[in-house]
Amino acid sequence: MKRHLSLILPLVAIALAPLGLKNYGTYLLTLWCVYVMAGMGLNLTVGYAGQMSIGHAAFLGIGAYTAAILMKLGLAFWFVLPLAALLCFAVGLALGFPALRVQHHYLAFATLGFNVLVYLFIRNEEWLTGGTFGIPGIQRPGLPGLSLEGSRPFFYFTYLSTILLALILWWVIRSPWGRAFAALRDNPIRAESLGVNIMAYTLLAFAIGAAFAGIAGAYFALLVQFIEPAPFHVTASLMMLLMVIVGGSGKFFGPMLGAALVILLPEWLRFMKDWYLVIFGLAVVALMIWLPGGLLSIPEKFRFKRT
Amino acid sequence: MNFLEVKNCVKHYGAIRAVDGVSFSVGRGEIVGVIGPNGSGKTTLFNSILGQIRPTSGHMEFCGEDITGMSPLKLSRRGVGRTFQTLQVFGKLSLRDNLIAAAQEFRGTLAGRLLAPPDAGLGRQADEMIELFRLKHVAHLPAGSLSYGQQKLIDIAMAFMPRPRLVLLDEPCAGVNPALVEQLRELLTQLNQSQGGSFVVIEHNMDFVMRLCPRVICMVEGKVLAEGRPDQVQSNPAVLEAYLGN
Repeated sequence: MKRHLSLILPLVAIALAPLGLKNYGTYLLTLWCVYVMAGMGLNLTVGYAGQMSIGHAAFLGIGAYTAAILMKLGLAFWFVLPLAALLCFAVGLALGFPALRVQHHYLAFATLGFNVLVYLFIRNEEWLTGGTFGIPGIQRPGLPGLSLEGSRPFFYFTYLSTILLALILWWVIRSPWGRAFAALRDNPIRAESLGVNIMAYTLLAFAIGAAFAGIAGAYFALLVQFIEPAPFHVTASLMMLLMVIVGGSGKFFGPMLGAALVILLPEWLRFMKDWYLVIFGLAVVALMIWLPGGLLSIPEKFRFKRT
Repeated sequence: MNFLEVKNCVKHYGAIRAVDGVSFSVGRGEIVGVIGPNGSGKTTLFNSILGQIRPTSGHMEFCGEDITGMSPLKLSRRGVGRTFQTLQVFGKLSLRDNLIAAAQEFRGTLAGRLLAPPDAGLGRQADEMIELFRLKHVAHLPAGSLSYGQQKLIDIAMAFMPRPRLVLLDEPCAGVNPALVEQLRELLTQLNQSQGGSFVVIEHNMDFVMRLCPRVICMVEGKVLAEGRPDQVQSNPAVLEAYLGN
């Protein structure tokens, strides 16, 4: 019962939050949902399956541009959303191949290179992506009898989608797939000797993670209604990795907490003007020193101290 | 027909002849011990058979099928299991999850496992194995947090979870206390009788080898020096000189 309450209470609190927030606050909360979607995918790739990726923002970009371009061509969002997810799934599969040959920092650089490639493509291929001018005027879809143009209805739409996506991830993690991902992370040589198809699970870890980011990208396009290359730069991939690690890599609620911190902390530190980045950086350094397992490892740390 | 047939296995690392023309066979349900000094090529031989490294030359058959250079994944699908010299558990998973992970990939299809129940229908078998290895009190703890001896037992239990037809055990007694060694010998005998699999066991603990293995192979400098009943090998003058001492 206590466990259920600790899950339901935050869910209800977040659902009620926009009632006391202005438009910008609701926008930030919706942005948090978008990054939670992408972060959950990255957590599967990095946290659960033990791979490395500094290219996740590229998938966010592929999802956002797929949605924007196809919707501009007149296709409905409901049709575009699975397409964005499928395209990212396929590209994610392809990006998984280097992971079969290289690991750790080599893999980090391979994914970083991929991110740079995607970024340069969307910045330079103006005929398709609008280049640095971006794609403006992306229309939000409507639900029967309900417009999603307002910030509040759009938040609830995104919020419910995030919960649905979280339930899908929960299913994957609880299934034998989740255990196979953990086996791949903890000891791939042993896993292979026990019949775990390393190739299939490595590719799946990248592909599913990418599909989550693709879905997040489509929602991002709807949220900001104007997309340009900057949010899909390598720095955004680093921020996403930070969200996963700060929250608790390989822990289900890690990206939720991490995304909240990475999005909200700069807002809280706004009064410090130019100093905010210094404080933000120091806070991250301090956190990584004292809590390398992320914020969600605090209870474990206390339990360990008590025993 | 022999269960496992290794013919003239050779593995060279440049000028070093780690395994230098080893041939032996293992019958169905048989337990064979492999002894020899450190660096005599025992683990390299295992790794060559099990696809961890590619042998320079030689031929290996399992149940009449050519398995030379076959990947560990394909070998596992054919019922060949192994344990490693060093601890190889899934540290962050619980002991019970380690055992389920060891056998779940042999059940159904990849897609089917996404829709399967979380324990993949292996919960009961895992609990029985936990009971057999007397590890119930730590079943839900992360495997990486347990003692060396307990992890060694998990490691061995994992190899037997998929009910393999052949298991190659690399120094199962290394770093294990005498009471646990005896427990391990009993367990392996029990598993040999209940599951009917064949074992090849690399081990330095001579008492363990003598009591578990009806046939022993002694390797020295990449070659088979002696083969036979434990008492025959133990009293072989060449084995005494090269490995056991006087």
